[in-house]
Amino acid sequence: MPKDAYDRSLWFLLAVTLAALVLVLSGHETGSGKNRAGLDKALERQMAYQARVDLIRKLYGPAESLLQAGDFQGALFKLDELARQYPQEAHGSILKGEILSRMGALEEALASYVEGVRLNGDYVDGKSPLSRRTEIQKVADEGLRVIGSRSRANPGNRSLAVALNNVNYLRSRLAGGCE
Amino acid sequence: MNLRDKHLWEVVATGLLLGALGVLLSLWGNPENSGICVSCFMENSAGALGFHDNPRMQYLRPELIGFVLGAALSSLAFREFRSRGGSAPLPRLVAGIFLMVGCGVFIGCPIKLFLRIAAGDLTAVAGIAGLVAGVWVGLKGLASGVELGAHSREREGSGFLVPAFFVLLLMFLVVRPGFIIFSDRGGAAEHAYWPISLGAGLLLGALAQRSRFCITGGVRDTLLMGFRSYMFSGTAAFLTAALVLNLASGRFHPGLAGQPGAHTDHLWSFLGMGLVGWLAVVIGGCPFRQLVKAGEGDADAGLVVIGMFIGSALVQSWGIAATTAGVPLVGKVAVLVGFVFIIASNLMLRERTA
Repeated sequence: MPKDAYDRSLWFLLAVTLAALVLVLSGHETGSGKNRAGLDKALERQMAYQARVDLIRKLYGPAESLLQAGDFQGALFKLDELARQYPQEAHGSILKGEILSRMGALEEALASYVEGVRLNGDYVDGKSPLSRRTEIQKVADEGLRVIGSRSRANPGNRSLAVALNNVNYLRSRLAGGCE
Repeated sequence: MNLRDKHLWEVVATGLLLGALGVLLSLWGNPENSGICVSCFMENSAGALGFHDNPRMQYLRPELIGFVLGAALSSLAFREFRSRGGSAPLPRLVAGIFLMVGCGVFIGCPIKLFLRIAAGDLTAVAGIAGLVAGVWVGLKGLASGVELGAHSREREGSGFLVPAFFVLLLMFLVVRPGFIIFSDRGGAAEHAYWPISLGAGLLLGALAQRSRFCITGGVRDTLLMGFRSYMFSGTAAFLTAALVLNLASGRFHPGLAGQPGAHTDHLWSFLGMGLVGWLAVVIGGCPFRQLVKAGEGDADAGLVVIGMFIGSALVQSWGIAATTAGVPLVGKVAVLVGFVFIIASNLMLRERTA
């Protein structure tokens, strides 16, 4: 509580400053929107992400078309080309995983999916437009069943151990958690 | 153990609620096994404030705000709010940074450690062993004269700074100005409805302020006094509540492989939690307890909290955080640097008798 004139003036100044703060904030709300747009990082980021998704779809569209048409070799060839141009792009690894899975090469498909998910976790995220959660879940479940039993029958087999690690990595990512 | 002691039941009630809400918040939308995790929430909140740019880890976690403000309201209501500080501020700030490093390498704070165990995640056993070992080493240090120095009572204002900062965060959460970033995918996009999270945080913060509940404090008291310590009962209540709810909701999946937000680098889980345990004993509480103490006017704990914010940002920006794939080299280096810090601090802060 104010005890002397100096205290009273400080309380007064505090009240004036708070009122000014409210005024500035309310003026900013109803302003032209120029500053607001500059600060809206969420919107900027959403647009950048959408542009990235569109670019990925455009770049990998031909490979996806080949995959849908059943031309697996052609699709793999196209993906190899793209991998040389965009070596850190996860989408190629995910598509390659899908192709290898359809071709029945389970261990290779798992390795490819793991490579893609490590580069970009959006592929196991149900909320992402890039999500391939259902496909990855299917391959991980099949991997657990097939490779799990083969691994138990051949405990010393290193390539099976690596494949089982890949299965467990995908299961762990699919299970969620905070990372 | 005096069963008529009100404090015992306060500790048990806090443990029960912490365990129950830890599972329920996951059911209501928080990430799997991370219904409550101070380090994950710190990383999310640091990201929301723009301190790091991992687009999957940005959300102003209302629980965190609730812990501090709940403790502040409770301490004010019960006339326990006291501005205090001045005990080795910089070492505490650095300790806060390394607390987050240890948690980042383990993937979770001591609360999440127990939540993971209660969900059947056996990879967390190495973390428990590390936490107990860290607390034990810390206690040896205290017994040998290591201490950060006594608090001194400060002018009233300083104790309000951290609660005031969290009031500001609450305003950001409600108003959502453009510079606050919320993830739309990844772990941070998974959250319970914010008033529920905030309510849970306020309740837990208030109860923890009354009971002085602390996970590392529980381990410490059990090592010192055995199973008759109140904190042991609180920790047991926490584990029991979480286990029962996990079993009832079909979320108990025992095993080492395929656990959510976990890795199998057991040595580094052990070392990460060992670092957290040792630091927590020296600075007087786990990350959760530091938030609660900061809420009741402890400016030293407030500096630990600021250190935790800095640490959370670094853990994400510098790639220190472990992932399901394992612990990165930078993470291993950071944990070892953390041990260099705590060992050197022990050497320098020790009061030796002639």
